[in-house]
Amino acid sequence: MTSAELALRNVKKSIRDYTIYFLTLTFAVCVFYIFNALESQQAIMSVSKNQAPIFRELGQIMSAMSVFVSVILGFLIVYANRFLIKRRKREFGVYMTLGMDRGKISRILIMETVFVGIFSLVIGLALGAVLSQGMAVMTARLLNAPITELRFVFSPESVVKTAIYFGIMFLLILIFNTIMISRQRLITLIYASRKNEAFRAPKLHASVAMFALSVVFLGVAYALVLSGKAAAKAGGYAFQIAIPLGIAGTFLFFFSLSGFFLKLIQQSKKLYLKNLNMFILRQINSKINTAYLSMTMVCLMLFVSISALSSGMGFSSVISELMSDGAPYDASFSVYAKTTGEGETTQGSGRNPALNEYPGFNLIEAIGEQGVSLDAFAKEYTAVRYHSSGRTMSMAIAEIPVVQTIDVPIYYLKLSDYNAALALQNVAPISLDTYGYAVNFAPNDTILRNSMRLYMEEGAYSVELGGSRYQTSPTRLYRYALENSKYADYNINIIVPDEATEGLPVYRDALHIRYLNNTDAVDALCTEELSKLTFGKGIETFLTTRREVMSQSNSATTIVSYLAVYLGVIFLMSAAAMLAIGQLSETSDNMGRYALLRKLGAEDAMINNALLVQILIYFGAPMLLALVHSIAGIGVAARMVSAVDDGGIWSGALFTAAAMIVIYGGYFLATYRGSQGILNRDYAEHRKGAV
Amino acid sequence: MQTILQARGLKKYYGGRNDLTKALDGIDFEVGIGEFVGIMGASGSGKTTLLNCVSTIDTVTSGKILIGENDITAMNQKALSKFRRESLGFIFQDYNLLDTLTAYENIALALSILRRPAKEIDARVNEAADALGIAGELAKYPYQMSGGQRQRVAVARAIVTEPAIVMADEPTGALDSKSSKALMENFRRLVRERNATILMVTHDAFSASYCDRILFIRDGRLYDELVRGDEARARFFDRIIEVVSRIGGDANDVG
Repeated sequence: MTSAELALRNVKKSIRDYTIYFLTLTFAVCVFYIFNALESQQAIMSVSKNQAPIFRELGQIMSAMSVFVSVILGFLIVYANRFLIKRRKREFGVYMTLGMDRGKISRILIMETVFVGIFSLVIGLALGAVLSQGMAVMTARLLNAPITELRFVFSPESVVKTAIYFGIMFLLILIFNTIMISRQRLITLIYASRKNEAFRAPKLHASVAMFALSVVFLGVAYALVLSGKAAAKAGGYAFQIAIPLGIAGTFLFFFSLSGFFLKLIQQSKKLYLKNLNMFILRQINSKINTAYLSMTMVCLMLFVSISALSSGMGFSSVISELMSDGAPYDASFSVYAKTTGEGETTQGSGRNPALNEYPGFNLIEAIGEQGVSLDAFAKEYTAVRYHSSGRTMSMAIAEIPVVQTIDVPIYYLKLSDYNAALALQNVAPISLDTYGYAVNFAPNDTILRNSMRLYMEEGAYSVELGGSRYQTSPTRLYRYALENSKYADYNINIIVPDEATEGLPVYRDALHIRYLNNTDAVDALCTEELSKLTFGKGIETFLTTRREVMSQSNSATTIVSYLAVYLGVIFLMSAAAMLAIGQLSETSDNMGRYALLRKLGAEDAMINNALLVQILIYFGAPMLLALVHSIAGIGVAARMVSAVDDGGIWSGALFTAAAMIVIYGGYFLATYRGSQGILNRDYAEHRKGAV
Repeated sequence: MQTILQARGLKKYYGGRNDLTKALDGIDFEVGIGEFVGIMGASGSGKTTLLNCVSTIDTVTSGKILIGENDITAMNQKALSKFRRESLGFIFQDYNLLDTLTAYENIALALSILRRPAKEIDARVNEAADALGIAGELAKYPYQMSGGQRQRVAVARAIVTEPAIVMADEPTGALDSKSSKALMENFRRLVRERNATILMVTHDAFSASYCDRILFIRDGRLYDELVRGDEARARFFDRIIEVVSRIGGDANDVG
């Protein structure tokens, strides 16, 4: 028999042991393909000019992420493979006693890996190709892009890429296995199954102490990230302290958990001696020396997964909301002077000589003079003039993931302009005292808004215009979006009585429009007409329609959602697969113990129940702690994106829960059924022989 | 003496028409309450198969096994489990203790499986440990104990449920002579003081000399039977050796 035939037979024979390994590989290939094939979906839908770059961006981001993902999958596969090999050491020992040399055994293993690799690649890619059709429909919906052509999208690039990445992983396994075989001695291979993990009774008192310590660590870490007070004490290093503390706490938690519970339940003899409780607890406790590391890993991976899935989905709704904030009008049209030299930018606050050459410049009249009729597409419109203050305010702005200090320009707006702009949004006008002013500051960032309020409280902050002094109070802080913008608007707009702006330099004129009716035709007409306008040398015009803002928002939403789903699903699957393989391997290590329980007369139901509880604890404990971590983590995320209420973040929870139930629950069930199978098979083999 | 176990026409065949192996080929015997019965025979004689069938771990091809009033050959899996945990105690050559449990917990496990209340479990474990002289070892794990101590823990586990009959498969097989002697004296005491019924498979004549009666099996059939009666143990031992050498001699005779 050739190595290849033997290898193929081995794979077929051990298909039951390979099931979870094979399914995991297939699923990983499938997910990998789908996310790398996103770029090719462009072919079947019509995207607007604004959205065209999104596919390239998506492709680039997914490419970068895939490197990271493949490292994780690589670890997972090597881990899974190690368990499978461990179970088969005796088989290799038998081959060697029969005179097969190491080279040939290595070749058999190589062939096996190749077969499993090819099967999972082919099936995974086929599955991925089918499922990515569904993804294409979802992409089209997320981007609001109509599907122009219903056909099968297939990405040869993604196929090649998937094959290469997974090829490298399989190559790693080949090297790993070959080294393993070349190092083994026959005697250890043959007695592999008899060699027990050296069992040493753990010190229970130490477990209780460590458990207490882990609770303290985790408590401090949560307090640091969640309570402003604790964070303030840590002096800006809250996260730098909380994250290592959280990891150490998680580690200690799983290291001491079983010992702690054992001690706790031993306090009640009634509970401890009931059914197989004692057996289950001891069983888990005996394995914890090797299991705590993987449980810590699984817990942290689940944490990343839950955070990615729920925050990712949440952030995307945050972005959408930010963007709809950024489009209060159907169209905003700005007229301003181009950079006029040293240090003066369009965003700057300097004087604007070009516009000031026409002190009597009226935007609406100027448009009329050029023969463009606003009434052709606009139902209502109003012009707003921004006056330069010559001042800026330094502000620390958190744009995830960085916090940067920028100089925010300050503008003066006439009360009548401001009220007209609000009226176009159907917002009631505001009024001012004779010598009072108000501030419009759009961001909803709690920290920024609070510091702004504090600033306004200090009576010293008054402005002097045209020889008069104007005062304000914190109650006069408003947060309305004043114009269409693709970017967050941090400008500080000071609203003063109309006469106060007399003689102030003009920075910019803006025209805000509400369409006759909200159709693409009107939008196109507006864009066409306004682009005809010119206002002389050095004067720029800039049009932002709501449609542009929304489509950019859709792009951002799509990218963030996909990224979150990609990472979340990979982490979730890896964590579940690690647990599943570990548990299956443990069940087969423990067959002797279960067989003894049967000999002592334990019923099948009792044994199955013990098995179920044990697997449930292994799957449940990391998940529960990860959920607690996530509640803290998502709380932080919600505060960082304080631009929007928490609702956005929690809305991702439903999706996350569904993913958890399907993937994690699926692995749990497969593990339980598989373990039952191992025990029953063993029992059946034990009993057979009766004629 | 009241009979606790009756085996009638036990047959256990392995394999198909062309390669039939008769592990048991028609065996009849009885065991009385409070009797310590040994089963001896060479390797492959069928003695372990006999014990497995009687102890419900294996099934017979034909024949009847009555323990008390119950015919165990007619029971289904569930009934067998119940019967096993309520009426039988097991002692194995390799102790078969769970290495993850302490001595106390190993003994208690048998009662936990019976769903006995915690209070009763505690009292009975301590009592069984006293009877076997391992009260001081209860907090230890198997790896912290000697072979002899481990086997006494296994015996305590077997008797703690007060089974109708204790099945011991080569209980001294892994013990040195001193520990073997101590274990056999424990067995005698259990029979004397608790009226325990023990069925023990062994190939060690010394251990067998502690029995009340010995059944010799050869090629799946009952070959001989020795009863000790009031005889001194040393004399009984000599008679056992005589039968053992006869069985072995006959086997070498086939020429």
